[in-house]
Amino acid sequence: MNLKKITGAIALSAVVASSLIASNTVKIGVQAPITGKYANEGQSIENFVKLIVDEKNAQGGLLGKQIEVVTCDDEAKAQKAAVCAKKLSNAGVFAVIGSYTSGATEAAQTTYYRNKVLQTSDGTSDSLIKRKYWTFFRNSFPNSSQSDFTALYMVKGKQYKRIVVLSDYSSYSAGLGDATEASVKALGGNVIFRGKIKSGVQNFTATLTKIKAMNPDVIYYSGYYTDGGLLRSQQQQLQINADFVGGDSNDNPDFYKLAGKAAEGTVLINFPTPEILPYPEAKKYLSAYKARFKMDPPSIWPVTNADGLRAVIEGVEKTKSFDTKKIAQYVRQMKDFAGITGPFNIREDGERVGAKFVVYKMNANGTKKVVTE
Amino acid sequence: MDTKNTSIATLFIVVMALFPFVVDSAWLSIGITFLVFAVVAFSQDIILGRAGIFNMGHAIFFGMGAYTTAILNVHFGLEIVATIPFAILVPVVFSILLAGPIIHLRGDYLLVATIGFNIIFEQVLSNDIFGLTGGPNGIFGIDVVRVFGYELWSDIAIYYIAFGLLIITLFVIRNLDTSKYGRALYYINKDEIAAKSMGINISYYKLFAFALGAAIAGAAGSVFAIQYSAVSPESFNFMQSVMFFAIVLVGGSASLPGILIGTFVMFVLPELFTEFKESRYLIFGAAMVLTMILRPNGVWPAKFGNIPKFLKKKVVNKSEEK
Amino acid sequence: MDTFLQQLINGLTVGSLYALVALGYTMVYGVMKLINFAHGDMVAFSAYVGLTIFTQFYGSNALSLVNIVIVFSLTAIVVAFIGVLLERLAYRPLRTAPRLSAVVSALGASLVIQNGIMLIWGPNMEIFPANVFPSTSWNFGGVIISFTQVVILALSAVLMISLYIFINKTKIGTAIRATAIDQSAAKLMGINVNRIIMTIFIVGSMLGAIGGLFIGIYYRGLTFDMGWLYGLNAFIAAIIGGIGSIPGAMLGGLLLGLFNAMISGYISTEWAETFTFILLIIILIVRPTGLLGEKTAEKV
Repeated sequence: MNLKKITGAIALSAVVASSLIASNTVKIGVQAPITGKYANEGQSIENFVKLIVDEKNAQGGLLGKQIEVVTCDDEAKAQKAAVCAKKLSNAGVFAVIGSYTSGATEAAQTTYYRNKVLQTSDGTSDSLIKRKYWTFFRNSFPNSSQSDFTALYMVKGKQYKRIVVLSDYSSYSAGLGDATEASVKALGGNVIFRGKIKSGVQNFTATLTKIKAMNPDVIYYSGYYTDGGLLRSQQQQLQINADFVGGDSNDNPDFYKLAGKAAEGTVLINFPTPEILPYPEAKKYLSAYKARFKMDPPSIWPVTNADGLRAVIEGVEKTKSFDTKKIAQYVRQMKDFAGITGPFNIREDGERVGAKFVVYKMNANGTKKVVTE
Repeated sequence: MDTKNTSIATLFIVVMALFPFVVDSAWLSIGITFLVFAVVAFSQDIILGRAGIFNMGHAIFFGMGAYTTAILNVHFGLEIVATIPFAILVPVVFSILLAGPIIHLRGDYLLVATIGFNIIFEQVLSNDIFGLTGGPNGIFGIDVVRVFGYELWSDIAIYYIAFGLLIITLFVIRNLDTSKYGRALYYINKDEIAAKSMGINISYYKLFAFALGAAIAGAAGSVFAIQYSAVSPESFNFMQSVMFFAIVLVGGSASLPGILIGTFVMFVLPELFTEFKESRYLIFGAAMVLTMILRPNGVWPAKFGNIPKFLKKKVVNKSEEK
Repeated sequence: MDTFLQQLINGLTVGSLYALVALGYTMVYGVMKLINFAHGDMVAFSAYVGLTIFTQFYGSNALSLVNIVIVFSLTAIVVAFIGVLLERLAYRPLRTAPRLSAVVSALGASLVIQNGIMLIWGPNMEIFPANVFPSTSWNFGGVIISFTQVVILALSAVLMISLYIFINKTKIGTAIRATAIDQSAAKLMGINVNRIIMTIFIVGSMLGAIGGLFIGIYYRGLTFDMGWLYGLNAFIAAIIGGIGSIPGAMLGGLLLGLFNAMISGYISTEWAETFTFILLIIILIVRPTGLLGEKTAEKV
């Protein structure tokens, strides 16, 4: 079996490599939720990829070849993601930036792995690294590092005594919720309720009413902004006097729209967001993005994906080839690659290391400020 | 089956057998999807087209087959080939359990009950019951098919697996039509009371139709899981059942060319029209409405048992002569 | 106790919305024996239309009573118009066709409307402004009821009572009931069946439109495919109450809202929908004509 696999692999990468050498263009894929409830994230990811690709093409292309971007809309749905994986692999891309949600990333992972297509994603679910596929590397930080930081903030920093942990059912959110609950308990914190809500249901009053009777002093929500905003708004409407702490995926302008006045005072735990990134690459690319697309990226995720793409490009140029195995190995041994989101270091199993988190407080007018502990 | 249908079937089989050698990989994927969904459509046709049961929950059996393969392979480490018998058996068992209590219901009520079952099924999948079904993101990382040490993971291999399944399905249907079961289903569809008075056990044959349809759909589900290496709840939701329901009616109940046309229109045409990416489904829905208005019996209705037109004309002429 | 009352209030509010939508389904089914699958999408459409009218003409300022009434009426008129169009184009040509063809046509129409919404308003989530109604709420010993909830409950009750009077005490209402019992006999009595059908589509769409607006105001996040599931739930409500029966639809809607809230609050949120559908199936097996439906003998 091994011999068959090796010959197959050699044959396949030879075919891929030779087709790339033969033609004048190379293809990079984008798999993201271009439509659907996370559309503004997906569209921004695509925009950022185009920004970087166009810049590279204007400089003469990648190893002399022009880059062509092939996009597939996965609507943040696992099945569509599996279909996209097939489509993009068949289209002959050598790397894919995607997807925004961990679920869509996971569903596509195995197909990319079998086709030896590189994949990088902002998904934070720890399960993405579970299989240690050499084709995959994460461009954001995992849930497990976020949960430790969150627990520190809630238990040691704010000293909450009655903590409610809520999540939805997706692998990312449930994973982050479980990890946070565990981290809180490890620090001796008191989790009075660990609940799950269905994403998209929009009416959370039943769950919130149940929580109200338990007298929490903080509600931590580890899901996405489309539900978080409504949760916060309904929490205030039901006059539940508790703080609201949101995990990283609550960071999106739509949170404010959905929460309305209730957004004021909401706490958000996230990686450093675009506007406070101190790195020179950040200034350069963020202003270029704003100049071209007339708005800021909605969150940090399109930016981390942009870093993933830049890492791949760096890998191609340094190894002087499109051999995906070589590029993957190079990316893993890069030291402190100058990312827009900071020093970019990938571990052997594809995990990004060097996590940093910030606590924000939201203002009612749609901005947020950093809270120093 | 009459000779016209047989020749169409033969032509279709020959074309599909040679298909992978003349198209590129994008089209090959579409071809596999077409084959898998055609099999499911045929299995729905047994229940809806032939037996006349208003089943709008067929995605359940398709999904059970897919998830059975996924769960047994990913959670229990079974070889894919070994999961296939279970992927057939589990839907059959459930079809009898679910259809049993509702089989006597009047048309519309049965329809709504099957919708209800479908929604419950979706929930069970999304809620990660017993930690097996993987939640809204489903199960991924399904293994490849391994036969005698050979790994059949390329699209061409999967294509021929799906193709083989379709051939088997066509065979089963041909046998069904010429058998006692097929005739019973036909009479039950045409006139249930008359059939009952002839001694046909309605519930027994209807349940049989459900079980057979479920078995075939389950097998198709297995192939679907293999093709994408991942399964998730939204592929087996109510909307999918609606699609299968519509395929049978838009194409033509109990009609082989009709079902193939229906599957083609529902699943392949949208791929062709990716230029109109956003308006695909709108044109689609409009086409459904128009087709029903222009051809209420489907694009290519079955002619079994209907008096051919030229005979009808002769009778009219004769009576006018007098 | 106050938790229970709170769940009750929340449940009744949601239930009133279901009831408004369920009425549209039940009226169409009663007369035409057709499940109007496109109705849910019409309700979603109303929410979008309402949102557009709000933002176009009023920006996001809080509104006065007069303006709100204008917006509601405008939306209702637009949606009623589309409802009549729907009937004319998708259902009337199939009056004499096999039942299932009309069902497919309804499904096709549903797709058209859903994707029409997507093409016009885009695939992203649209968000209703939070200040259509003032955000005051009253606290009765731990039970919170908001201004919006009061409006929904009150207005729905008024609408349902008016509809009941309309159906049972007016001439047109009697004509509708007659057509529902037997279309051919009604024709022989001189009832213009086409006009009756147009009427029920207008009334049903208007009720759905008001329901849709309330859904937009209450839930606030709109996606182009939200009509599908919402409509299905409302349809279930109509069946539980007795499809074809107007009081049945009202009762079914309220019961469904309550049932949902209680299960979510006391047993579990993730299985709430499952319980709802299990209830549906039990009712279908045990009493298919619903709680208030009449058992009619089927002629062979």
